[in-house]
Amino acid sequence: MGNSYLARKVVQAFLTLLFVLSVNFLLFRAMPGSAERILLRNPHISPEQLQTQRERWGLDKPVFPDQLIDYFVATTQLDLGYSFQFRGQHVTDVIAAKIWPTVLLIGVGEVIAILLGLALGAYTGWRRGGPIDYGGTSLALILYSMPSFWLGMILLIVFSTSLGLFPGHGMVTPGLTTTDPLARLADLLGHLILPGITYSIGYIGQYSLVMRSSIIEVLAEDYVQTARAKGMTEGRILRSHALPNALLPTVTLIAINLGYIWAGAITVEEVFSWPGLGTLTVDALGSRDYPVLQGIFLILSVSVIVANLVADVVYSRLDPRVRT
Amino acid sequence: MTGAILTPGQLRAERWRLRAAGLRSFVRRFASHPAGVVGVVIIIVFGVMAIAPSVLVGPFETPTRPSGLPFAPPSATHVLGADEQGRDVLNLVVHGARISLLVGLLASAITVLLGATVGIVAGFFGGRTDAILMRITDFFLILPTFVLALVLAPIIVDVFGVGTEFFGMRITLIAIILVIGVTSWASTARIIRSQALSVKERAFVDRARVIGAGSGRIMFNHILPNVMSLIVANTVLVIASSILTETTLSFVGLGDPQSPTWGTTLHYAQVTGAPGSGAWWYTAAPGVAIVLVVLAFTLIGNALDDTLNPKLSARK
Repeated sequence: MGNSYLARKVVQAFLTLLFVLSVNFLLFRAMPGSAERILLRNPHISPEQLQTQRERWGLDKPVFPDQLIDYFVATTQLDLGYSFQFRGQHVTDVIAAKIWPTVLLIGVGEVIAILLGLALGAYTGWRRGGPIDYGGTSLALILYSMPSFWLGMILLIVFSTSLGLFPGHGMVTPGLTTTDPLARLADLLGHLILPGITYSIGYIGQYSLVMRSSIIEVLAEDYVQTARAKGMTEGRILRSHALPNALLPTVTLIAINLGYIWAGAITVEEVFSWPGLGTLTVDALGSRDYPVLQGIFLILSVSVIVANLVADVVYSRLDPRVRT
Repeated sequence: MTGAILTPGQLRAERWRLRAAGLRSFVRRFASHPAGVVGVVIIIVFGVMAIAPSVLVGPFETPTRPSGLPFAPPSATHVLGADEQGRDVLNLVVHGARISLLVGLLASAITVLLGATVGIVAGFFGGRTDAILMRITDFFLILPTFVLALVLAPIIVDVFGVGTEFFGMRITLIAIILVIGVTSWASTARIIRSQALSVKERAFVDRARVIGAGSGRIMFNHILPNVMSLIVANTVLVIASSILTETTLSFVGLGDPQSPTWGTTLHYAQVTGAPGSGAWWYTAAPGVAIVLVVLAFTLIGNALDDTLNPKLSARK
């Protein structure tokens, strides 16, 4: 049951991964700092040395398929090359050092955004046309039109620079000496508040708009009409009929949306100097560190592909209709 | 038209009469969306800024001849204060309108051209062509295309050389326009395809084929006009998201310092520490301009969608 559906989804995820790898491979050939061009640019290099280097890098082999295969093999062994900016360091190590701050920020931000966004959307959709719907929908539209980094800059000015309520820079207070784990946790949470709020506010608007239209669609269904005819209270219709059915498409949309959240995440990290992948991305851009940039694109793509696959599997468990 | 035979002249006059009536009814229906009208007014204001910025705030201030002191707060002479070099922020924001809008419009043109072409071709041919094109579309829908744009933009600039200009536009801006277009066409393609699928089943497509019209001709003369209303509404929404993407790309440092958009101005506000030193005017002004323009295009797009495609948006 449903095995062909799952198999198809796995094949699709695999194809997407191949596409990402091919794009990365092509970019690596096109970019101005590629191995070939760096070798040719050096005037002191002898033809023999050049040849040895070409052999070592596999550049004397045909681009297709040999170099492509080499690239695929190296990537599956997590060999993403070397960073230009941090001399000698593996791209994998550079990225690995920055992953956890980003996971923390996005994890907390997403959970808040999903919970508040879905609640706001469900309420405004249910009370369509009321004052809260009008206010909530207008607010969601304005938030949707707002670059999240700009919101972050404004929050930083108000709550950090002017009021001094929260730190607006980094993840830990510089020179923090205490070893008390609770004090360290409190310090971390204090630093997390502003970027976390900025990140989630940006997506509350989007998620609530999706949930709102989903609820409105479900409320027009025949089974809701039937429930009403049976004399069920409005609150119970919402809880046991409308909400579960409206949640399904919303969850899928949130999963698809995962590819889009990075624009917000990267810039919010930059505003608050949060030491994660976003700040690393902006630094790498500044120094044109292409191997690191491509590594980040690869790792984010893989995470999005996996998240979508998980969402598809969960969806097919919750809603048997899609397993066709 | 009651079955009487019309002369070509009368036919032409009749056609124009119908078109004028259609336009009048469109304007009337659009005007019944107050939010859409507000959007149009906002865009007209920013359009005036884009066309004649020097009339409004004087010539563009370059870093070499600033009119104020660095980080000067708002005052009578500098209503929105000054930036880190002492340039008037109001001057920067008004002069930023032209380049911000231009980049947004051109990027949207590429996005919609790519998306509509892929959508119409996939919907019309169906079968294997459709399957392959939609698989590629899905790649672009799912993947973090913003990050791809981030990697692509500097590569394009480096390949052509930093100083290159095409049609009087600097390569930095062209790279931004190209990467937005190349990475954001997928949702347009999906929307247009679904409409093209239903249009091609209509009788006039079969009739055109029977009288010997080729595929290209059918797609251009018969499918395209029938998906046009969707394309128009979608284009306006795409402009909103293109401007947002441009802002974000410029904010992380990919913009052109010599033709600053609002995003570029925010980039310099960030790197010179304006938020941390309390220079709220420097940060607030460009951001408000972005929010207003993006909001205006979104409102117009939603109103157009309601007006042009009433059936599709009936449930909203």
